[in-house]
Amino acid sequence: MSERYSFSLTTFSPSGKLVQIEYALAAVGAGSPSVGIKACNGVVLATEKKHKSVLFDENSIHKVDMVTKNIGMTYSGIGPDYRVLLRSARKLAQQYYLMYEEQIPTAQLVQRVANVMQEYTQQGGVRPFGVSLLMAGWDEDGGHPFLYQCDPSGAYFAWKATALGKNFVNGKTFLEKRYSDDLELEDAVHTAILTLKESFEGQMTEHNIEIGICNQDGFRRLSPAEVKDYLASIV
Amino acid sequence: MSLQMEQHEYGTPMQRYWSPYAMNGGTGLAVSGADFAIVASDSRLSEGFSIHSRDAPKTYQLTDTTVLSCAGFHGDILALTKYLEARLQMYEHEHNKKMSTSAIAAMLSTILYYKRFFPYYVYNIIGGIDDEGKGCIYSFDPVGSYERETYRAGGSAGSILQPLLDNQIGFKNQQGVVKTPLTLQKAVQLVKDVFISAAERDIYTGDSLVIRIITKDGVKTETFPLRRD
Amino acid sequence: MSIMAYNGAAIVAMKGKECVAIASDRRFGIQAQTVGMDFQKIFEMGPHLYIGLPGLATDVQTVAQRLKFRLNLYELKENRQIRPKTLMSVVANLLYERRFGPYFVEPVIAGLDNKTAEPYIAALDLIGCPMATDDFVVSGTCTEQLYGMCESLWQPDMDADALFECISQSLMNAVDRDAVSGWGAVVTLIEKDKVTTRTLKARMD
Repeated sequence: MSERYSFSLTTFSPSGKLVQIEYALAAVGAGSPSVGIKACNGVVLATEKKHKSVLFDENSIHKVDMVTKNIGMTYSGIGPDYRVLLRSARKLAQQYYLMYEEQIPTAQLVQRVANVMQEYTQQGGVRPFGVSLLMAGWDEDGGHPFLYQCDPSGAYFAWKATALGKNFVNGKTFLEKRYSDDLELEDAVHTAILTLKESFEGQMTEHNIEIGICNQDGFRRLSPAEVKDYLASIV
Repeated sequence: MSLQMEQHEYGTPMQRYWSPYAMNGGTGLAVSGADFAIVASDSRLSEGFSIHSRDAPKTYQLTDTTVLSCAGFHGDILALTKYLEARLQMYEHEHNKKMSTSAIAAMLSTILYYKRFFPYYVYNIIGGIDDEGKGCIYSFDPVGSYERETYRAGGSAGSILQPLLDNQIGFKNQQGVVKTPLTLQKAVQLVKDVFISAAERDIYTGDSLVIRIITKDGVKTETFPLRRD
Repeated sequence: MSIMAYNGAAIVAMKGKECVAIASDRRFGIQAQTVGMDFQKIFEMGPHLYIGLPGLATDVQTVAQRLKFRLNLYELKENRQIRPKTLMSVVANLLYERRFGPYFVEPVIAGLDNKTAEPYIAALDLIGCPMATDDFVVSGTCTEQLYGMCESLWQPDMDADALFECISQSLMNAVDRDAVSGWGAVVTLIEKDKVTTRTLKARMD
């Protein structure tokens, strides 16, 4: 039976819900927090990167990654699932470039990644991704910053600022109080760190958080030294 | 040993091919006015992607008032011009006068047609002064079809030059324009301009331009550099 | 006999100062026999963007339609007009997809950038190898004649009127020395705030 047929695991429940997607969302909610803030001259992504053991080499793995020259992303949820999406996001971006000889606009990439995530809620023999993505971009023509959230269902949202993962409700409440439309990127980085700090357990260091910024120069992950400087100025 | 011979005899069939012709490029141009004719050609001699000579003009002075321009297979050009020289000499000895431009044109046509089934691979243009003292141009195909014209471009860049001559000398596609007779000065300038354009796009045309200006007093020669790449 | 010369065509595009022009003949023939004198070879791809398709008539229409299909999808998906450079890339891809069984067309693109209004012209071969220049591009059955005309008549920074005269003369005199193109001509002049399409009174023989 199971050799000949493959059924979708995401089958509607009698009440009309797709419970697998809700479980996926629960996995996101249990994941380590991440924050995104759009400033007037750029976007910042920040995420918590705590390790289970002090023996871990914390520089061997990253949670904030570049997709194209001017788009980056991070996540809350299941790490390996994120890396699958990162690979397909990079591939989609390059396919776009091959077709049009033009950098993919952020909205286009988000739409296409969301489409991949949607396919995993309907296809046979697969499960939804256990991640929500935060994608930050800067579009070359027009020169605008973008911040998108992308959920396991394939739904996506454009935010001025948002928080994902553990304690995201508190994070969002904090951001609602702190956000203003004329925020500069430098201040946004501070706000992002403070948002993470709200729910951070233990000492926050340059090794257990990761920050990426995106502005007219493109997307860039901050080095531990740069993160350390930001942390020092916060106290 | 017998095995070796069998291999040789039953090998895959191969076709051998040899052409008695080559294309050595080159462009000729002739323009006539009221009392002059201009015959011009470039001086490049090439085959495929290689240049044999940068100094091989394809204009040949046949008489005091007749100049021939040849483009195509250089071997045939040499044979044809050599034969023409001989025929001109014979004419002069028999008739005690130089051959007229129109007579040379008629003779060239028969010479070309004589080899109708193994043609001289040569595109000829003759420029000279006619019996009334006017400039005259005769253009030929390789097998002797010919006609008198007022301007003609031939050879490898012929199709590049011709439409421009139609426009600038023939006033084609121009409305309400005064059709002023062509002056020598304007003609020479035009010849230079069109050859610069041809050298820009045709790899078989370039190096230098030789302009032969024919009047009733004889032939004057002018050279002009073209691109060498 | 070359498939590219089965129907006959001549297309040229030129850059001017803050303007571009694209022109084509109007003949549709089957080898030496003329069948139509109002055949469309230039297609609108945007408010300031046109593509000329010389070559096998059936492929001209197929490529025009398939390109319009891709363009409509692009505009719906991205909610914006395509840029000339991007269109060139789409055409190159469309043609290269048929690398080993090509469409027999060699397109010419002319347009102004949607944002900067910068002139853009390009020509591609039948398998999509692009060539963008800053003077003029030619394509069709009388490219030699067109090159001769353009090389002599074109000059930098022509205004719209001069560009129109230049491209018209170039095309008409070139097609008059080609047996399989001509029979009328059409010129589209693209300026920032105006696009003018004129049909020319030409030799019909």
